[in-house]
Amino acid sequence: MAKKEFSFNEAVTEIEKILKNIESGDLDVDKLSESVKRASELIRQCQKKLRTTEEEINSIFKDLA
Amino acid sequence: MQDDKLSLTELQLIIKDSLYIALPDFYWVVAEISEMKENSAGHCYLELIEKLPDEKDARAKVKAIIWGNRSRFLKSFFENSTGETIKEGMKVLVRVKIEYHELFGLSLIISDIDPSFTIGEMALKRKMIIKKLEEDGVFSMNKEILFPAIPQRIAVISSGKAAGYSDFLNHLSENSYGYVFYTTLFESALQGIEMENGIISALDRIADHINLFDVVVIIRGGGSQSDLSWFDNYRIAFHVTQFPLPVITGIGHEKDLSITDMVAFQSLKTPTAVADYLIDSVSGAEDRLKEISSEISEYSKGIIDYNKERIESSRIRLIPAVKLFVSGEKELLSCEIIKMINTGKEYILKAGIVPANHKSRLVSSAGLFSSAKYKVLERMSQGMVSLTSNIISQKKVKTDSFENALKILDPANVLKRGYTITSLDGKIIKSSGETSENDIIDTKFSDGSVKSKVI
Repeated sequence: MAKKEFSFNEAVTEIEKILKNIESGDLDVDKLSESVKRASELIRQCQKKLRTTEEEINSIFKDLA
Repeated sequence: MQDDKLSLTELQLIIKDSLYIALPDFYWVVAEISEMKENSAGHCYLELIEKLPDEKDARAKVKAIIWGNRSRFLKSFFENSTGETIKEGMKVLVRVKIEYHELFGLSLIISDIDPSFTIGEMALKRKMIIKKLEEDGVFSMNKEILFPAIPQRIAVISSGKAAGYSDFLNHLSENSYGYVFYTTLFESALQGIEMENGIISALDRIADHINLFDVVVIIRGGGSQSDLSWFDNYRIAFHVTQFPLPVITGIGHEKDLSITDMVAFQSLKTPTAVADYLIDSVSGAEDRLKEISSEISEYSKGIIDYNKERIESSRIRLIPAVKLFVSGEKELLSCEIIKMINTGKEYILKAGIVPANHKSRLVSSAGLFSSAKYKVLERMSQGMVSLTSNIISQKKVKTDSFENALKILDPANVLKRGYTITSLDGKIIKSSGETSENDIIDTKFSDGSVKSKVI
């Protein structure tokens, strides 16, 4: 099964949504830790995307050149 | 007739002489350079044409030569005045002398060139291109594209041999943040007659794989005096405006902008500056990420602190509330006890149902009872800090049963249960022997009394 492609933009949108929830104070304390965990995981993935070479992309680009 | 025969050379020489006699002067001629080659000796061979803007084919064409010495001088003079080299496609005003050579035929020998004419022509041409792009309504279309959050996948239009290209790649890969960029080179000539089709075909090839790229860069290294006017090209500019990805140019010109620069999403002076722009864009996206991340942690801390405070204030309020509750109970109990003792005393004194020796016992048992109860309360107070509502409700049950016990002891309640007090002449009688016939006795019920006659 193909892994769903990670999208930086979608991740940032989700992170911003989590922030908005926390900011507005609507968030349940019970869900706080879960939300923060999710946000930090997304942030980690975003930062990884900026710095880690994706072999798949590399090979596509080689084919083009 | 045979005497009239001429050798080809003789004929050519006659033509040459005639032309020389007929056209002895220098002439200023307006023409477009359609071809230009320089040989190793520095002589410059050109083809001049005249072509109207809308026409495909030339309506006049002639060879022209700038001899080596003159060529070097005219070229540098022209470049200093216009910032451009003499090149194909350029419209020029040149001073020529007609020469006819028996072997090479007719050519124009160029002895001078008027740069101001070309400047005017170029400016006019630029103005026309800009006007056309504006009239087409496309001039700022590429600028209106939303720039990608992370321009990591870059289609590069350049020449693999260009110094600017390797500068660009090095600068990108050596960025201090450790960001990864993916680049693919789409080769094109970056000057000369082939450039127009080269760049357009590169854009077309990129468009075929549009989903693989975030951004297009057109880069070219080299000095500031390189031929910027190649980029004053309507078709190139038009394709850039129509391109669905943002196009960034770094075609190495310090002073002026070409029309391609003007319509591009962003124009920068050098390939290195383009690389910096891309790195900064990614770092901007990451900064936003860091900002959100610190906001999340700040707000989360706020939520936790707020809830801690809520718990703390509840805890603080709970202890006095329990104390208050318990002391309220104590007071209530004391009142009951006092009431009970008083009622007991009163009852004993007034009604005398209890013998004197019982009196003190009742009082002391009431005291004992109350002190036992007090001890329970003391214990409850001691356990208060860890009190739970469970304990509180248990206590309430206990208290209720104490109250019931007290009620049972109250003489008023004894009457309620069906007992009566009998008195004769105001004195309570406790034995049937105390009455005699025709005595009027008084019987007291809980809700009143009746008089009756003993028979």
